[in-house]
Amino acid sequence: MKCKKILLVLTEGMDQSIISEVVALCKKFRSRLFVLFVIDPHRIARLARLTHQTADKVYRKEEEEGWQLLYLVEDAAVGSGVWTSLHFEDGLAVNTLKKYVETYDIDLITMKRKDDHKRLFAASPVAVMGL
Amino acid sequence: MALKISDFLKSKAIVMEIKAKDKIEVINELVEHMVSHKFVKNGEEFVKALAKRENLESTGIGDGIAIPHARTNAVQDLVLAFARSPHGVDFSSIDGKPSYLIFLIASPENKKSEYIMALAKLSRLLRKQTVREKLRNAKSPDEVLTVIKQNEE
Repeated sequence: MKCKKILLVLTEGMDQSIISEVVALCKKFRSRLFVLFVIDPHRIARLARLTHQTADKVYRKEEEEGWQLLYLVEDAAVGSGVWTSLHFEDGLAVNTLKKYVETYDIDLITMKRKDDHKRLFAASPVAVMGL
Repeated sequence: MALKISDFLKSKAIVMEIKAKDKIEVINELVEHMVSHKFVKNGEEFVKALAKRENLESTGIGDGIAIPHARTNAVQDLVLAFARSPHGVDFSSIDGKPSYLIFLIASPENKKSEYIMALAKLSRLLRKQTVREKLRNAKSPDEVLTVIKQNEE
């Protein structure tokens, strides 16, 4: 399988446990790593309702955490000599993922294995590796 | 207490019009400026760390912004610098467009969380179009700092 470009998809509430695995994978296959953090507006609205906070407050917190996660991945990747590109998007994860696969000619998608991600696995136009 | 960009970016670390036109030249010019104002001790090591990073990633995050950065012991504390390029510089940006607003960030190796937080705060701040416009139109270093202070949370 061709593995020149790997896309790591991060979403809100993601922990950092997969970072080292993805970086090791990229190092092994000498892949370029594209890291995408997506904020889904529907999830923000749902979280705001559940936590009795404003959507804006929830969004700002997720945005800050998203950027931190992106730079944590980048720091680990660059420290291991893996070429990295960071991306931050608002929108539906499924649509954003498809757009990225097409735009950057992605060979493989990696993401955290979570129940929430089942539809992403199903909708992906390329192979997905759940970590 | 939450980290604030305005606490780390000093007026003397702001270059309103950078002369260099190529990304490595820009980094060199900005680092020289920081060395001359004693923000950085070892300019050579600092440039090396930044250039190494530039080879492994695109620090041009789009919308006319570039944030070259590195963790290096060439600095003793978290340092920030800002430069504006009138013509734009090719930082291999993700949207393919030149960068007009260039923020440089560095921290010592052992201050990783502060460094990540600063990068995240800055990236978030610069997503706001109004902030980018105000920074491009600011007339002085003090005005740049005011824009940042008024818009960071």
